Amino acid sequence: MIFSLVVYSAPHAGESAATAVRFARALVDQGHRLYRVFFYGDGVHSGSALAAPPQDEQDLLGQWQALYREHGVDLVVCIAAAQRRGVLSQSEAQRLERPAANLAEGFELGGLGQLADATAHSDRIVTFGGSA
Amino acid sequence: MSQITLAICRHAPYGNALAREGLEAVLAAAAMDQTPDVLFTGDGIFQLLPDQAAGEIDQKSLHRNLQALPMFGVEQIYVCQRSLEERAVSSNRLAIAGINLVLVQDTGGLISRYQHVLSF
Repeated sequence: MIFSLVVYSAPHAGESAATAVRFARALVDQGHRLYRVFFYGDGVHSGSALAAPPQDEQDLLGQWQALYREHGVDLVVCIAAAQRRGVLSQSEAQRLERPAANLAEGFELGGLGQLADATAHSDRIVTFGGSA
Repeated sequence: MSQITLAICRHAPYGNALAREGLEAVLAAAAMDQTPDVLFTGDGIFQLLPDQAAGEIDQKSLHRNLQALPMFGVEQIYVCQRSLEERAVSSNRLAIAGINLVLVQDTGGLISRYQHVLSF
């Protein structure tokens, strides 16, 4: 079955971002296809390369990047939501005249059209976070 | 089962960024000829109240986004009747120009008709 995930919550703010990455791992381990993970709202912080959690805590960024490296999972961070919250690629940081870029390797910025596209191309959309 | 996506708007207009970002996602999908059906439920029904003075708290009004919906092909939206009653909001206070508001009694039944649901 083809899945896409939508992640609304920031990593380390609650359990749902961690549940999302575990669910993603379980999908690919069971042979399902993960068409796209779309990070929206506070979920865009998942794509920050600057997160440095203590070593005895889970490394969500590293887990997403492992999925990208091993399975080529499409990790798309909404560009409009990311600009508001300060998650910028090198080119966006230059264009917006900000002093640094922090979009992590394996993630790409994309538009809301890619959420609509994921909906059209997936059998299931599963949303994580956003209940508060 | 409908191949159209249902977008569910559940958040009060300025208390959570998902209210704005949900409407932006609805408009973006509609701009790509994938116009979703839209349901307002829970605190999301507060988005439909007129005369919001968003500027008083330095926010942009969501009404501009709502009023853009008909231009993108969203001509009716579903509103959860029970959510209105629980919040003592009369349906005749709600109005978005150019949009027909359809009150829904069986909200769960409505949602179950859709293959895809995006929840905001």
